[in-house]
Amino acid sequence: MWNDLANLLFLAYEQFSLLPLFIEIALILIFVAVMATLIAYGSILFRRYNSSVYNKRLAHLSPIIEDLITEQVLLNENLGKDIPIEEIHFDQKALSNKIFRKPAVRQILIDTLIRYRKNFRGEVGELLRKLYIDMNLVEDSFAKLRTFKWETKIKALVELTQMDIPISDSMLLPLTNSVNPTLRAASRNAYIQLSKNEPFKFFDVATEPILPWDQMEMFKIITTTKDITIPNFSRWVSYSNNKSIVVFCLKLIAYYDQQTAIPSVLELLGTKDHRFRAEAIKCLGKLSAEIAEEKLVSMYTSQPVNCQIETLKALGRIASGKHLEFLKNEFLFSNNFDVQMNAARAIIRHNSQISRLMLNEIMETTNEENQLIIRHCQNPLIKY
Amino acid sequence: MKVIIDFFSRGTFWDVLGIFFQYAVFLYGTSLLIAYGVLAFLSLGSIRRYMKKNANADYNIIIESPLAPGISVIAPAFNEGVTIISNVRSLLTFNYPKFEVIIINDGSTDDTLEKLVSEFELVQVDYAYREKLLSKPVKRIFKSTNPAYDKLVVIDKINGKSKADASNAGINVAIYDYFLCTDVDCILDKDTLIKLIKPFMDAETSTVREVNGDMQIQEDYKRVIACGATLRMVNSCDVDEGLMIRVRPPRRILPRFQEMEYIRAFVLGKMGWDRINSVPNVSGGLGMFDKDIAIKAGGYDSLSLAEDMDLITRMGAFMTDNNKKYSVKYVPITLCWTEGPTTLKVFGRQRTRWGRGLAQLMSTHRKILFSPRYGRMGLIVFPYHFFYELLAPIIEFLGILFYIYLILTQQINWPYAIILIVFVYTYSVMITTIALLWDQITFKYYKTWGETIGLCLMAFLEPFIYHPLIVFFALKGYFNFIIGKKHTWGNMQRQGFSQPKRRTAVKAG
Repeated sequence: MWNDLANLLFLAYEQFSLLPLFIEIALILIFVAVMATLIAYGSILFRRYNSSVYNKRLAHLSPIIEDLITEQVLLNENLGKDIPIEEIHFDQKALSNKIFRKPAVRQILIDTLIRYRKNFRGEVGELLRKLYIDMNLVEDSFAKLRTFKWETKIKALVELTQMDIPISDSMLLPLTNSVNPTLRAASRNAYIQLSKNEPFKFFDVATEPILPWDQMEMFKIITTTKDITIPNFSRWVSYSNNKSIVVFCLKLIAYYDQQTAIPSVLELLGTKDHRFRAEAIKCLGKLSAEIAEEKLVSMYTSQPVNCQIETLKALGRIASGKHLEFLKNEFLFSNNFDVQMNAARAIIRHNSQISRLMLNEIMETTNEENQLIIRHCQNPLIKY
Repeated sequence: MKVIIDFFSRGTFWDVLGIFFQYAVFLYGTSLLIAYGVLAFLSLGSIRRYMKKNANADYNIIIESPLAPGISVIAPAFNEGVTIISNVRSLLTFNYPKFEVIIINDGSTDDTLEKLVSEFELVQVDYAYREKLLSKPVKRIFKSTNPAYDKLVVIDKINGKSKADASNAGINVAIYDYFLCTDVDCILDKDTLIKLIKPFMDAETSTVREVNGDMQIQEDYKRVIACGATLRMVNSCDVDEGLMIRVRPPRRILPRFQEMEYIRAFVLGKMGWDRINSVPNVSGGLGMFDKDIAIKAGGYDSLSLAEDMDLITRMGAFMTDNNKKYSVKYVPITLCWTEGPTTLKVFGRQRTRWGRGLAQLMSTHRKILFSPRYGRMGLIVFPYHFFYELLAPIIEFLGILFYIYLILTQQINWPYAIILIVFVYTYSVMITTIALLWDQITFKYYKTWGETIGLCLMAFLEPFIYHPLIVFFALKGYFNFIIGKKHTWGNMQRQGFSQPKRRTAVKAG
């Protein structure tokens, strides 16, 4: 039989080799296309089957894991008795259940613990952490951190951070400057959350940028993490070569109203990058830095429009009243619509007797178009 | 060489032309199939990268963040009185901290505006409107007196006979740095703004590098100018008050083919282009744009029939002309569901317009084609669209004519011809099935495997039913473009989203 088959194949090959080249190629590609289609169908069905199996497994395991957490942590009889968390012990029999030895189950357990820890603080949160450590899940996370796959490292960082497990600087600091932006952001977030003494140490060594999305993430972490030491961010404004760090620090300076940083921010007004300068002007406005007004007004005419608009906004925020005439002139004589709008808003924002008188005077003397701008800016239904 | 010269000297003119045509078509077809194959590989890389990158992303942080950039949602409406209220309510419920919804009543002749005014407690406001982009005159602007609707702005303008004109008016009023363009009757995911703004905020900026012993700042800023996401058909899906409840492939055959076509075009095509930073366009149904660049590029062209691709082309050309690096991004997840035409008449009108729009676009921006000055746009995107989008229906049609000629003159080698047809057929089925597999990798939109496989099986029918229609309407569009036939915007009978299908609205394309 095998000989017959071999002969048949040989004959087929002989016939095939007699065909023109493009027909040979077409036949090969038909075979490839049919196989690829079948594999694709198989993959679609396999993926769906796998997902269904996983869901069933999850449905089976979840009650077991939930029971473990409820019994060992939530209903732990030692809670609320002023017993130090380190001295609370779990039922070792429950923890050594064979089912918790499987890597997939341990991962589900970690994910569940993290979900719980996000919802529980205080003693319960600490006891969840202890369960994570006692079940040696911390080693699972560190093993992930040591892999080469960046996405696995990120998962480990998230787990360790959520469980408040310290990671050594030698392991974490290099990752904060990784060329992979996602890994870099995750490790920087982890560093801020885990480093109790110098959470911003990586600012000194960071050469890679903090992307705007990462800034948002980091901003939330900084402003919501308890017991974090907030430094004077002006040190990076003055000395960092990394523009994104300086921009981020400007935002933090404004948020924490660090008035002592004003001199450092003022120095940035001389920088060549106009986007950078605009950020500095915005920061000064948010700090209500009256000291900066003269400088801002004196450099105004040489600035591009984005910096001019930030200057007008800043003058409106500071609202000292010293430059109302300047704002009035900008409103009346500028050819740029956005400049006019922002000048009008800045005058309105002063909300003083002089500014109100000035607005009345403008409304009586100026043309209809300008009057419309003022009415637009005064209308409480229109926010901007 | 001698063989070729001998051959050409022996044959008649028609023989030579026939042979030349056969070889040219063979080369063309082979290169097209290779291009699809390459796109399939590129898209897989792009999808995997997106999934890995965003696996641990916490999108909720943006909801509370004071650093979130503002977004203006722009949705033109023409005679949408039947569904306008639920659609606007849906747009007002995005998960995002800083956005406004701008509805442009584009001279509706029904009660669209009256319904908006009454439902959302709108009053006319003194609005300092400045026309940065050309559009038909704006008559009035409304804001709500109810603080619950403070994000809503309604523009009442004279009908401009195009979505582009209305969108331009919306951009003129938009206050934020980014705008999202959509159709008011589309169903959008609640996280659309979060998912689409992320690529803008992930753009690399400057890096500090050591150069000759000094730490120097290296600017490597590639500005993201637009971002899009996958669209699907809303036909047969369950929708409740503008919220997607259950996704299903359309039951009717025409939208079902379109669903398959959209998945292939977005998940395989756009994501493949995304991998090499050559995304040709962002769909008119859903796209987020950098407002500054869009305005500088001149906004939408109200005379263009492919206004979405035209805008991206001009934005890209503007960036190149000003020596600025840019990118257009795509996300592989479905964020928008739109109603596909269910009748051949409406479908034909839509595809004829698309065909004509493509011809118009290529003609308008012909200076970009093969121009090294425009980088990837000039050397990849435009040549691809010229050869494989614009010329494909023409070559296909000529090929069919040639085939008929060969059959009639009994010159055809049937066994070889059948092998080649089977080859093209199996390859086409393979590419579509792979696209559907990639789609499954991103998210399992369909609840049952039957729905998934059911859609996959459409790939077997496509070459016989759907594809000839596409070719025919594209050729009709080219013909209309060549003879300069006046374009009229037709009505699309809306079926409504949720069952039972009881709502009917009229919309001008």
